Amino acid sequence: MEENKSNSAQNLGIAALIVGIITFVLAVIPCVGIMAIIPGIVTIVLASVGLSQASRNNSSKGVILAGLVIGIVAMLISFSQIFVAGRFARHADKWPSDIKEAIEDIRSDVTRDLENSNVNIRIGSHGDTLEINAKTTVKDTRVKQLEDLESGQKEQNDTLKKPQ
Amino acid sequence: MILLRNLSRFLKEYYSLLRNEPYLKVNLVFAGIILLVMAYSGIFSPYKNNYPVVCIHEKITGQPCPSCGLSHSFSLILRGRISEAYEWNQYGLRVFLFFISQMAMRITFSVYYMRNGQGRRDLILYDIVGSGIIFLVAFLPFIRMLVLSILN
Repeated sequence: MEENKSNSAQNLGIAALIVGIITFVLAVIPCVGIMAIIPGIVTIVLASVGLSQASRNNSSKGVILAGLVIGIVAMLISFSQIFVAGRFARHADKWPSDIKEAIEDIRSDVTRDLENSNVNIRIGSHGDTLEINAKTTVKDTRVKQLEDLESGQKEQNDTLKKPQ
Repeated sequence: MILLRNLSRFLKEYYSLLRNEPYLKVNLVFAGIILLVMAYSGIFSPYKNNYPVVCIHEKITGQPCPSCGLSHSFSLILRGRISEAYEWNQYGLRVFLFFISQMAMRITFSVYYMRNGQGRRDLILYDIVGSGIIFLVAFLPFIRMLVLSILN
């Protein structure tokens, strides 16, 4: 009878150790780690029951204590995963504005590159070829507008006609 | 025939020791768990995307977390597509190697434990230290992430 009780305490200790090690591995993985609180509680309960049985029977407590210590450490690591979740939540708040800024940067870069580029499009079909050349315009036009304004010349669009 | 006889003798010896030795019980359970992980990775296909476990973090925030894609990564490693596995999760290979090394250690240490009655205490100590080092190496990016999050 006494041997059976001692065996059950040791079995509880083994179970606590196994669940504790699994909890430990899970607790280290971000995002999954928070969920490891549940097996952590199971580990501590198993080890506590095993420890109380072992103290009553004066049987060996090595495995049970190992399970208890690993369970407590795993629980602490699991709790600390809240900090990782908080850090990611902070980053998640910034992500939309970061993405928006990146899109704006790309758009301005592409627009600037296209303004200063020469585009040649050649389309061929059944021996006939059509070629379209689009030279730099925007920058040249702006420079020309500036030169015109400096020399006192006005563009046709700028004139204001009095209605008849 | 001799092989079968040896195997049956080994299993009988293993079973009689298993009832009295907690170390062997722990090793057997862990080997079983690792086999289950491998079976999970093998059964569920990364191409069908039919994994039953989903990332809660991604469901809530819509953003992936560092452990996202581990299941895909494991499945792809099992199918020999290492570069694709790395794309799914850059830490997948490390964690997978940890599981493989643990499987090898459980089998080797169990056999050694049965064969050597004298140095069993030392063997358990080597196992704890070795497994601890392999765990630290495999999970180092996650541990670093955790420590940095606590410190900041």
